[in-house]
Amino acid sequence: MPDDALGRPYGIPVRREPVLPNGVLGMLIFVATEIMFFSGLISAFVIGKSNAIGGWPPPGQPRLPIEETALNTAALLASGVVLYFANRAFKKGAPNTKRLLGVSIALGGFFVLFQGAEWVALIGQGLTLTSGQLGGFFYLLVGAHALHVVAGFIILLYTYRRLSHDELDRFTFWPAQIFWYFVVGVWPVLYWQVYL
Amino acid sequence: MRRLLGAWAASAVVALAWLADTASACPSCASPLEENRQAFVDTTIFLTVVPLTLIGGMVWWIRRRLRAMEDAPQISVPDSLLRDAGPFSKGR
Repeated sequence: MPDDALGRPYGIPVRREPVLPNGVLGMLIFVATEIMFFSGLISAFVIGKSNAIGGWPPPGQPRLPIEETALNTAALLASGVVLYFANRAFKKGAPNTKRLLGVSIALGGFFVLFQGAEWVALIGQGLTLTSGQLGGFFYLLVGAHALHVVAGFIILLYTYRRLSHDELDRFTFWPAQIFWYFVVGVWPVLYWQVYL
Repeated sequence: MRRLLGAWAASAVVALAWLADTASACPSCASPLEENRQAFVDTTIFLTVVPLTLIGGMVWWIRRRLRAMEDAPQISVPDSLLRDAGPFSKGR
């Protein structure tokens, strides 16, 4: 009987990696539904904005902090980029994986805290969920995203913990990344639609 | 009988096409604000294209991965070796 490249006889069953791990497939389907959820919210916002009498943003309502949020947007995008490099380092088994993942999580945390501070300031200026169409849409869209950022932040913290214990495998890290990339990717669209 | 049914169906389609008019309840057709009407058209296109793109993209990507895996050379690995490694555990 001929031997294979490792010198073992042929005929031994080959165990193959799945085309797509269950966790990744599940996360992709989940993210697809989330994209539709945000698409619905954005569409409702676009319709509401186009229907506003007196222009948009409505007169007499506080202005949204465009410049400060641009900085926050940059922090979130940087978090996504750093996570990408963390994954590359993880694949190579490089020692700086943990540091890169830590930086990505810290940038995500910065985004959440900054947004919290922004909300406190806006509520202080009178922009609440019931103050008008702007407030209602703002807290609905940005709030829904903020919830996702917090969830993604917790997932990344979990992966960091597993990495610290040398228990992280790519079938755990991969879905976590997909979710975070979704959270990062949807934010510029929201920023463009809601703030600009 | 089949020809009669076909003629009836064709007549029904022509009659419906003839009767079709602007639906007053349709905001894309009847909104007095041009910007609002355009927003309805844009979001309708957006919400139609997004799911198709998502599903199409996912199918394309899975097919591409499947083909890449089929093209990759297969090396038989003894079960004892796999058991030591666990079911895909700690795989990088």
